[in-house]
Amino acid sequence: MIPVEDIRARAKDLLQSGKVRAVLGYRRSTAGLLAEPAFMTTADETAALVLDPTCVGNLALYLVNEKKRMKHARQSDKRPLGIVAKGCDSRAITVLLQENHIRRDEVIVLGVSCETGGMIDTRKLNKALRGKGATSAHFEGEGGVRVSYVGGGTILPGKDVLADRCLECAKSYPLDADFFFGEKVDERPYGPRFAAVSAIAEKGSEERSAFWDAHFERCIRCYACRAVCPMCYCDECVVDSTNFIVGPTTSADEKADRVRWINRSATPSENAMYHMVRAMHLAGRCIDCGECERVCPVNIPLRLLNTMLEREALEMFQYTPGIDAEQPSLISSFRDGDPNDFVR
Amino acid sequence: MTRRAGVFVCHCGTNIAATVDVKRVAAELARDAGVVFSNDYVYMCSDPGQQSVIDAIREHNLDSVVISCCSPNLHEKTFREASSQGGLNPFQCEIANIREQCAWVHKDRDEATTKAVKITRSAVERARRNQPLTPIGLPVTRKVMVIGGGIAGIQSALDLANAGLDVVLVEKQPTIGGHMIQLSETFPTLDCSQCILSPKMVEVSKHPKITLMTSSEVTSVSGFVGNFKIKVHTKAQYVDPDKCKLCDDCTAVCPVVVPNEYDVGLNDRRAIFIPFAQAIPASYYLDPESCLGLNPVVCGKCANVCEADAIDYDAKPKDSEIDVGAIVVATGFDLYAKDKMAEYGGGKYPDVLDGIQFERMCSASGPTGGQVLRPSDHEEPKTVVFVQCSGSRDPAQHCVYCSKICCMYTAKHATLYKHHVPNGRAYVFYIDIRSGGKGYEEFVQRAMERDGVIYLRGRVSKIYQSKGKLKVLGVDTLAGKNVEIDADMVVLAQAMVPSKGTTEVAKALKIGRDKDGFLAEAHPKLRPVESVTGGIFLTGAAQAPKDIPETVCQASAAASKVIALLSKPELEHSPVVARVRESHCTGCEMCVDVCPFEAITLVEGKAHVNEVLCEGCGTCVGTCVRAAIDVKNVTQLQVFEMLEACMGGE
Repeated sequence: MIPVEDIRARAKDLLQSGKVRAVLGYRRSTAGLLAEPAFMTTADETAALVLDPTCVGNLALYLVNEKKRMKHARQSDKRPLGIVAKGCDSRAITVLLQENHIRRDEVIVLGVSCETGGMIDTRKLNKALRGKGATSAHFEGEGGVRVSYVGGGTILPGKDVLADRCLECAKSYPLDADFFFGEKVDERPYGPRFAAVSAIAEKGSEERSAFWDAHFERCIRCYACRAVCPMCYCDECVVDSTNFIVGPTTSADEKADRVRWINRSATPSENAMYHMVRAMHLAGRCIDCGECERVCPVNIPLRLLNTMLEREALEMFQYTPGIDAEQPSLISSFRDGDPNDFVR
Repeated sequence: MTRRAGVFVCHCGTNIAATVDVKRVAAELARDAGVVFSNDYVYMCSDPGQQSVIDAIREHNLDSVVISCCSPNLHEKTFREASSQGGLNPFQCEIANIREQCAWVHKDRDEATTKAVKITRSAVERARRNQPLTPIGLPVTRKVMVIGGGIAGIQSALDLANAGLDVVLVEKQPTIGGHMIQLSETFPTLDCSQCILSPKMVEVSKHPKITLMTSSEVTSVSGFVGNFKIKVHTKAQYVDPDKCKLCDDCTAVCPVVVPNEYDVGLNDRRAIFIPFAQAIPASYYLDPESCLGLNPVVCGKCANVCEADAIDYDAKPKDSEIDVGAIVVATGFDLYAKDKMAEYGGGKYPDVLDGIQFERMCSASGPTGGQVLRPSDHEEPKTVVFVQCSGSRDPAQHCVYCSKICCMYTAKHATLYKHHVPNGRAYVFYIDIRSGGKGYEEFVQRAMERDGVIYLRGRVSKIYQSKGKLKVLGVDTLAGKNVEIDADMVVLAQAMVPSKGTTEVAKALKIGRDKDGFLAEAHPKLRPVESVTGGIFLTGAAQAPKDIPETVCQASAAASKVIALLSKPELEHSPVVARVRESHCTGCEMCVDVCPFEAITLVEGKAHVNEVLCEGCGTCVGTCVRAAIDVKNVTQLQVFEMLEACMGGE
């Protein structure tokens, strides 16, 4: 069982002793079921810290956002940030470390194991409750989720209500944590990794093409998937012609001559291009937190694109992102055993 | 951005014009915005062709030039120089390859012409945004490293040193000499190998310009043409060559007996030994692998008897870093292992020898003192079968290629055998006799006619031991029947393969290897002694199987290439190098990891390109997910506009 009290105590201690400038964690939100991310800057605030199956957000994103904010902050507090990190959040932190985006001494990781549980998928939960609005959700025993709703409550099996990413989780606990809470569970009662992507990969190319055409046609290019992704931290995104970096030395010609690899218009071909390029740019970097898929307002199964590449990387190059900050990145490393040995 | 482009379309005789309507290419380009001059000519690379480019630049005030012709590998230099004469920066001339990438690979004239137009158009787009660049000047280290101390390395080192360059000769073994010093006589003149090689070895050891590093290996190479930094690992030298008096007292007391590598296992040596009498450096050598632990408590006999006090058990290996301007790679060959020839006994039968073992046996300094004797019972063999193409020309099981020298050395072996055992019978199984070379054919004929060697055209299918004899089953295709010979000894002319460690050397030097594992030359015909990496030259059997005269030629050729390279006070480096857009760089270091030339470092959290190390390969550009790095004159904007030009229209 995940000891929420211990996490609160540790967070409180870190803030009281002044070791961190804030602790990044979850608290109950004022609206809706899901917990909300919170920067806790005083010891008192830690009493509100929660950890349950509604803590779906990837907090590593806020490390990235905080870095952007700090760049322009007038007074900068150099103390590290405490961060509550699940297995997936911690893998994201590891990739950020690997890419030198943050330094290890800038964070104090309060690692929590999801043990046999995981985070809920609200769509699945709504379906399971047949329209009853859930008010809270808690871990219950071996992979179960205890849900309360107005006028009652029930216990649902994890496999019915947990997010796909949790059912296929690569590692349900952090590998790199300063403080660790919960137990390291390697055998989880769910399906194999890459189950969802394997199912679609088996289909014929025409069927797959039709599947994606239908999805990409609906994309409204709101860029929510990019905004929620902790790996999408580039100041200028190559797939988006609206966010150019204009510096003091940028000439009028340079502004006029920007490469517009993808047009702004939300047409099926440009949308497809956007998602493909994004997937390629996340190859070997995506740690499958599944946030892009969760936040998509039109329900495009974006995880499939990323996990496909993750599967390829694992099968072809035995590469798992986010397990070691010191490993060379997937696309910048070549080993003798790699396929295509013409690259000698 | 330039606005007055000139386009010149070449017919290349009929090479291009037969498939591509060059007139139409020129006419279509003439209509493009920004193209102020467009013409075609039968041979643009000819003097009048080049002159037409120069004239057009002046007459029409062109600010960029595109030549639609053959690969830029061939004539980019020509036309950039012509453009320069016309008054342009050479980097404002681009080549559109409409021969190799269009005319030669297509049949349909209409489609090929359309493609040629698109290729040319995209080159025009690229040239429009080319920046004028000036080559980067580099200082040169006038010192050369030769890797490998066989005949190839020795010859190169001597030629270079005699030209006044400082040479470092690195050899893995404790002595130089390579495979040539193991040979008894050399074809086609039958002069003694040691007699002709040892004077050169002595010259190496005495030459004031040559530093000899034996028992040493190259571990890593960084830098670039003119300025390489090489790390060399030298094994511990337990015997000081300067003190060793060659008295042989140490071997007399050494209790360890192991097979002698120099005699390919045909006899034994001690743990402390001299590989052969003429070894350079002239010194005994202590083999730490077989020595009794280098521990004076366990043994220590040799140090006790050494009057010169030359033996030091506490010697340490040494790592040195050497700066050189050029590298000659002469890492040589090994014989294809006999163990792999399952059909010929898989190396199990003691009386089945490979070519070098037979050479040692014939050599006066060899294990039998120059007598041909069966290794199993030391009897004189009366019937010897020589098998050519053993492991060569056998795509199904062994090496695909012809090892080139085996026809000749087998004829030599058979001749030598007949000289040693005049009443013996020598059979040679061959597929073809390849005896191209001065005096070579006569040599083979002499073996057949004067020495009575019996040549059988066909292959040997199986060799096995039976009643003290070696049964050789083969076929004589000229007589059209199977042959069965009871032989006393068999000599296999094993294929030549790149020496052990060639892979590692190639990797350290970042030079390519061909499909058979030999080092790859830059061009099979026109640049046969250059590797694909500037400043690194190839010679000897490491590049392909070859005999001694050819090796010596190539060694001298490589040396002359190095001499030409290092004769200039300064080298020019292409200015087409990567450039970092600092505003976009997040310092993720992926480009640092991926750069094959180690040209990128992280400076204050941003990538920084060392322009003299950068070869402009663009690997970093492909890796950077943030589009924060570009190669000059191949920027992403240029690539994008080239793509647009190709995709536009039909």
